[in-house]
Amino acid sequence: SSLAPWVPVVGLEIHAQISSNSKLFSGSQVQFAAPPNSLVSFFDASLPGTLPVLNRRCVEAAVMTGLALNCSINKKSLFDRKHYFYADLPAGYQITQQRVPIAVNGSLSYSLCIDNKMSQMVTKTVRIKQIQLEQDSGKSLHDDARSQTLVDLNRAGVGLMEVVMEPDMCCGEEAAAAVRELQLILQTLGSSQAVMAEGQLRVDANVSVHHPGEPYGVRTEVKNINSIRFLAKAVDYEIQRQIEELENGGTILNETRAFDSKLGCTVSMRDKEGKQDYRFMPEPNLPPLILYDSKSLPANMNHQQVINIDWIHERLPDLPSVKREKLVKQYGILPEHSFTLLNEDGLAEFFESVVKQTQMKPKKVIGWILKDLLSYLKQHSLTVKESPVSSFLLADLLNLLEKKEISSTAAKQVLVELWKGEGKTPLEIVKEQKLELLQDQKELEQICQTVIDGQENEVIMMVLG
Amino acid sequence: AALNDRLRSQVSAALKEGRVTPTELCQRCLALIKSTKFLNAYITVAQETALKQAEESEERYKRGQPLGILDGIPIAVKDNFNTAGIETTCASNMLKGYISPYNATVVQKLLDQGAVLLGKTNLDEFAMGSGSTDGVFGPVRNPWSYSKQYKEKCVPKSHSEEEESNWVITGGSSGGSAAAVSSFTCFAALGSDTGGSTRNPAAHCGVVGLKPTYGLISRHGLIPLVNSMDVPGILTRCVDDAAVLLGSLAGHDPKDSTTIQDDFKPFELPNLTDISKLSIGIPKEYNVPGLSSEILALWSKAANLFKNAGAKVVEVSLPHTRYSIVCYHVLCTAEVASNMARFDGLEYGHRSDMKDSTESMYAATRREGFNDVVRGRILSGNYFLLKQNYEKYFVKAQKVRRLIANDFVKVFRSGVDILLTPTTLSDAAPYTEFIQEDNRTRSAQDDILTQAANMAGLPAINIPTALSERGLPVGLQFIGRSFQEKQLLTVAKWFEKQVQFPVIQLEEVKRHDTGIFQDQKSASFS
Repeated sequence: SSLAPWVPVVGLEIHAQISSNSKLFSGSQVQFAAPPNSLVSFFDASLPGTLPVLNRRCVEAAVMTGLALNCSINKKSLFDRKHYFYADLPAGYQITQQRVPIAVNGSLSYSLCIDNKMSQMVTKTVRIKQIQLEQDSGKSLHDDARSQTLVDLNRAGVGLMEVVMEPDMCCGEEAAAAVRELQLILQTLGSSQAVMAEGQLRVDANVSVHHPGEPYGVRTEVKNINSIRFLAKAVDYEIQRQIEELENGGTILNETRAFDSKLGCTVSMRDKEGKQDYRFMPEPNLPPLILYDSKSLPANMNHQQVINIDWIHERLPDLPSVKREKLVKQYGILPEHSFTLLNEDGLAEFFESVVKQTQMKPKKVIGWILKDLLSYLKQHSLTVKESPVSSFLLADLLNLLEKKEISSTAAKQVLVELWKGEGKTPLEIVKEQKLELLQDQKELEQICQTVIDGQENEVIMMVLG
Repeated sequence: AALNDRLRSQVSAALKEGRVTPTELCQRCLALIKSTKFLNAYITVAQETALKQAEESEERYKRGQPLGILDGIPIAVKDNFNTAGIETTCASNMLKGYISPYNATVVQKLLDQGAVLLGKTNLDEFAMGSGSTDGVFGPVRNPWSYSKQYKEKCVPKSHSEEEESNWVITGGSSGGSAAAVSSFTCFAALGSDTGGSTRNPAAHCGVVGLKPTYGLISRHGLIPLVNSMDVPGILTRCVDDAAVLLGSLAGHDPKDSTTIQDDFKPFELPNLTDISKLSIGIPKEYNVPGLSSEILALWSKAANLFKNAGAKVVEVSLPHTRYSIVCYHVLCTAEVASNMARFDGLEYGHRSDMKDSTESMYAATRREGFNDVVRGRILSGNYFLLKQNYEKYFVKAQKVRRLIANDFVKVFRSGVDILLTPTTLSDAAPYTEFIQEDNRTRSAQDDILTQAANMAGLPAINIPTALSERGLPVGLQFIGRSFQEKQLLTVAKWFEKQVQFPVIQLEEVKRHDTGIFQDQKSASFS
């Protein structure tokens, strides 16, 4: 039994909060960590008689994201109501897109290091089933001490894009890499800030295992994953748990489990919804969402009134994969270098800025960026923006090195000094610490002679062998 | 000026010329509301704010700058429209004491034009019903119960017994609004119409009841029953006044995504003299079992009236009419179940004292807040929306709805301009008789002639036509093409002129307003 191989199957449901000024169906503001219930419109509070009005920016964000993920954009998509009772859902239903979502059938390519070696990267693809627009819920906190539930509706109604990734992944590492790439794409597009810590990107994993050739096993849904690192851990734990359970003759329940980051395991959630029937029904207050492309756009349409998919497509920024290719091509760096550059917010820009300001070849600059700069930042938990060494200063230093005015050892010493952020220039530090390389041959001979003269005995020993 | 006057041609002129002031009008209406309190037409009378609005209107007239025809005109609003600062209850325990922070768009429009909001009128709870008998504030009494015309026809009994046991219903669910207009306590009232809730009480109370095309008037702020069928309804004493109200309310509202974008141009109604180019359709399926012989005869007479005046009158068929009741039942209850899900006691409205858990609080709140009718529809609706039932019921009903709507498209495409049908099966029933059957049965019976227009989103209007043998109003219905309200109202106005429906003779009104009974025409249609 433990000899037969197991094939783990991992799919993901990702909720990305749309980066917009106002909510999906109402004009109240979107803002993180505002005072409770300070960003709640009448519609968000579900006051009777209020109606949803679709936010154009949210639609554009979803179209951009769909195009970036190679999806077909549905020119007609529909809104539905998904009903359930919960304190953070004031209307008793969520407006979502169950029947016909805005985008379908896309793909996402991501890269993995084999055996943790950056030099061996492999590209994988995961299919995107669909992207749908839907409302976020509010937040509820349980105050057990006072037997009450506190409800904050600031988040209720914020626009979400739900991105459904097909079960094409096989382990935590793949899931993590796919989500990381999605995160970068969303941030590049600006359609979501996708910061997991602020709840702007939430990931639920669907995990199952089966023997090759056999049908897929029962899957569990894993929730409460708060970082990409925990995602990998949660998925791998759950795969292992299922394998052990099955090998011990047990069965897997089709249930929801929560990841406990402290214990590093998944725990069965008391099924708060049971086998919920959401009683889906078309949302009667929103007409079908019609999008146009250049071919179908009616002649007299007011540009403000319509969304033109082609117009959006033309204006998409370079996606991470394209950016990486360009970096490799333009600067002759290795693919794995470009990955690291894009993985760190602002690092690619920093690198390019240094390259512009120095004569040193990019292939050499990259070493300084990835080894010296990045490791220092990591050690001190700083972002590139917070770096005490600016691209100007680093370029200045590298120029000294390039002109052979200092050795590379000396350069590293200067860098250490620069980190202190005392405002000295590299040249000033070099002069202070007397790190200049000697260019004068005669001066060099004189120094050597002085050393030899001072070490007579050692010299004789050396000459004698 | 008299409370019976027409808005555009008479009241507006009187106000402009100072022959009457907004304050006077307001005070007269408020006094009449007081003396007709037994009708139970009003849930809330906003006396202070109304008088204040009247004063402000008066200032504008003094400066010679009235905002329009509606400036200073006392209006009543059905209590399922949000009115900021004034209680909005939907005649339900769930919203007793609920003060909305915003005005429905239609209310705001009226106020922006200087109308004086007298108060909120009574209805069936959450607009579910056809009698205005099932609200928590009690039933509305039809003013015609106290009319000379009705009393004359009643079998003589002792005076008090008569009044107490013979009073008839207003119909519903906008019974309060219909009664308010019928008893002269306001010049116009807003109702709502989902399956006939404006036209039905209009017919029973002898007033004009207009259901506009779906998408013409904003529903923002109208507490919904069935979002895909609801429209704000207009109740007035004459067709011209309905046109004035329509002109002030219609048009795109960015807050309501189901309103059409096209510009709406308010219109005045011409006086039709030549109807030879008109084609009137008589749908044979509207001769339903249960239709009183009286109304059948009246319908026939009306058809002949058109024929004799030169119009083309043809029999047409709307074959799917007989499925509309069940179709409506499925779609209505499904949307009700959904719309009522927000009433959980958390954010607003009634909250139960039950504290054991959130779920138990929800359950207790909803049990305490809703009456049986509402709860029944929620349960039915949830049943139809269950995954295993969705295709069988909801989707099927949507398809049948399409067939019903297509019936009308075909008929209008064949050259018919307007359809003429009865509005109700009979005149108003006595309350004691009406409550013998439950709400669902009554609704199913009473909605049959009116609900297809809601299914198809078409405009329709009730015109008071004649008095029945019992001395009670009977109306006939005209159904028009989508967004062709001008044509519909023009024909309706012609018909109104022909039938010369009598003015209600109410003791209370006579006492308060001697002007009312001037200019009464003696000829009447029946």
